[in-house]
Amino acid sequence: MLNAIKPTKKTVFLYLMIPVAMFVFTVFVPLVTALVYSFFEWKGGPVKTFNGLDNYIQLFHDGTFWEAFGHNIYLVIACIIGQIGIAFILVLMINSKLVKFKTIHRTFGFFPSTIAAVCIGLIWNMIYHNKYGILNWFLTAIGRKDLCQVWLNNPKIVMLLVTIPLIWQYIGYYMVIILSAISGISTDIFESASIDGANGVQQALYITLPLIKNTMLVCITLCIAGNMKAFDNIYVMTKGGPGTSSMVMAMYGYQVSFQQSNMGYGSCISVAIFVLSLLVIGGSQALINFLTREKEAK
Amino acid sequence: MKKRQVISTVLTAAMVASMGLTASAATDVAATDLAYTGELEIMHYSTSEESEGNGGSDGFRTVLAAWQEAHPDITLNENVLANAEYKTQIATLAAAGDLPDVFLLQGMNTKAWAEQGLIMDLTDTIAASPYYADYDQAYFTPFKSGDSVYGYPVLTGGTCTVVIYDKAMWAEAGFDAFPTTWEDVEKAAEYFSEQGIDTVAFGNGGQWQANSDFLSTLGNRYTGPEWFQSLCDKSGAAFTDEKFVAALAETQRLFAETNIFNEDFNAVTNEDAREYYISGDAAAFIGGNWDESYIWATLKEADEEKFNNIGFAPLPQPADATEAPTSQNIGLGYAVAFNANLADDPDKLAAAIDLAQELTGPAFASYVAENYALGGLTKVADVDLSSFDQITQDFYNYSYVDTEKCEIYDSYINGAVWGVLNTDLQSLMNGEMTPEEVAANAQAAYEENY
Repeated sequence: MLNAIKPTKKTVFLYLMIPVAMFVFTVFVPLVTALVYSFFEWKGGPVKTFNGLDNYIQLFHDGTFWEAFGHNIYLVIACIIGQIGIAFILVLMINSKLVKFKTIHRTFGFFPSTIAAVCIGLIWNMIYHNKYGILNWFLTAIGRKDLCQVWLNNPKIVMLLVTIPLIWQYIGYYMVIILSAISGISTDIFESASIDGANGVQQALYITLPLIKNTMLVCITLCIAGNMKAFDNIYVMTKGGPGTSSMVMAMYGYQVSFQQSNMGYGSCISVAIFVLSLLVIGGSQALINFLTREKEAK
Repeated sequence: MKKRQVISTVLTAAMVASMGLTASAATDVAATDLAYTGELEIMHYSTSEESEGNGGSDGFRTVLAAWQEAHPDITLNENVLANAEYKTQIATLAAAGDLPDVFLLQGMNTKAWAEQGLIMDLTDTIAASPYYADYDQAYFTPFKSGDSVYGYPVLTGGTCTVVIYDKAMWAEAGFDAFPTTWEDVEKAAEYFSEQGIDTVAFGNGGQWQANSDFLSTLGNRYTGPEWFQSLCDKSGAAFTDEKFVAALAETQRLFAETNIFNEDFNAVTNEDAREYYISGDAAAFIGGNWDESYIWATLKEADEEKFNNIGFAPLPQPADATEAPTSQNIGLGYAVAFNANLADDPDKLAAAIDLAQELTGPAFASYVAENYALGGLTKVADVDLSSFDQITQDFYNYSYVDTEKCEIYDSYINGAVWGVLNTDLQSLMNGEMTPEEVAANAQAAYEENY
């Protein structure tokens, strides 16, 4: 009976070919063509001149690109702490017996991650607005008018200001992932820990975290990948400004490729984003594995 | 009976009005006999949203529809995108060597695309146009590479730098008209600061505004037109020349060291800044013709008194500038251009030429002159302004009569150079880069990319 409805290998193969072909066409082919174009001087148009490693040499000396890379690393660190860290704490709170209406908390927590990044950017632009923004209004209301400023024009804090909306937006997203991982842990473990006298923090650090380590690794990988290609809400809020104070790699690649019509160098930047993202993800996973292995050995 | 009379009167009026509209739309387009039948691709950015209140876009769409009606055997395949998306898409199509048959060419792409053989040399075609004698030749400059011309300048010639001010507010500050020097504007700023009002609203959040709506004109006051022409021709001028650095220094002084402008000028766009003027939070605003049409429409609807107090003035003259004190940058930023491959099909090419001539010819020019008091490539003799309100007449005179024309920087050279300069301008205006550093970076980008 089972064999009668089980599709043949050929059928399975054919069905799988459709998504594989789509993946190859939309991800693999552009990646390979970008790699090829990165060895050319291509200022738009059909004329491309092979220039070997010139684009990569230029990239190596391009201060704006490395400044943008630094901003992406800042985003990654801030978002791992902000998004995953806060999400973890919120999950623990929601899981607490004291909290009522858990589904409502979950739904509303997840809600911001369903809003388009462009809308998030516009909303936070209004919050930071110098004249009409709620932030300056609040500071004035509590008698700290001296702290009011043109928030998005301050190069020293602009990266933090564009990171806050990103953190706010994705807390709920990681909350849902972590929540599902924690729900897989048997409640017996927590009950026996409570009987042994472990408090909430100890339970979180010594029981919950080690048991959801793999899920946290996935969250961190997603967080790094998402923030290495951050673009839309920063583009809406500051366009990378003032100057290049909030420039990120993807935005720089976009500007070089489309506003400056320098497709060859733009492709080189895309390849660099890909390679650097792989390195950062690989590096962070190796670091986490190393740190947790040390702990286990102890 | 009375009711029936009213209805018939309304219907008659509607019929007459629609006849009038049809007349101004369809009959003005020359119904040339064209051998070509089939599809003709055109890509542009005059969306229906854009055309509401924007005379150039409205005229473009109207003439395009009239041309289609006059040539039913030709199917116009329109690809209409908003301006920002249009620029990205056309750059991508150019990179792929797959430009549409007819499209709008931005001035600064002319040289690069001509060198790559992407666009058709239209020098002889344009010279043979039946409307050639009426063309304003100055508008062709951004679309030339050497002696060859690559497009029919299209849409309306609008200023990119105009000071829009509230006459009543400035009268209270003791000025009968907007000051002609920055020193006087600084004096006025003391008065307006006491009132808690910004003297001049400006928005450079998009990074291009400081270049297009300010430096392009202020630079001309220091360098004169020859310097910029030399820069475009690569015949010696450099961004690091003392005169241009002086213009950058003055820009920095005005934004970073005086309290003339709203303090968030680098964080808000021109769309935000013009709202400061409309709401009375600022006594004046600096922007382009697109801002003027928005302010005009908004105030006409919302605040008649403030509408009647609108005044226009050129950028004030810096104390150490020696050139053209009434200059303002005006031009046509785009031209109708053809894919070079169109030469393979002479009949299709003839249809495209006819379309381009009509889109930029007397049909378009008359429409925008009569309906919006605007001018395009083809000159219209004796524009009757009497039917327009005073503000529209004043803006027409500001744009075309009372001021001296200068070039719009970013209609020329290329995006790579302006991208670097525009980014650095934000830092300059915040006082975080010196004029010399900004000039050196722009010069390096110029030498590398142009």
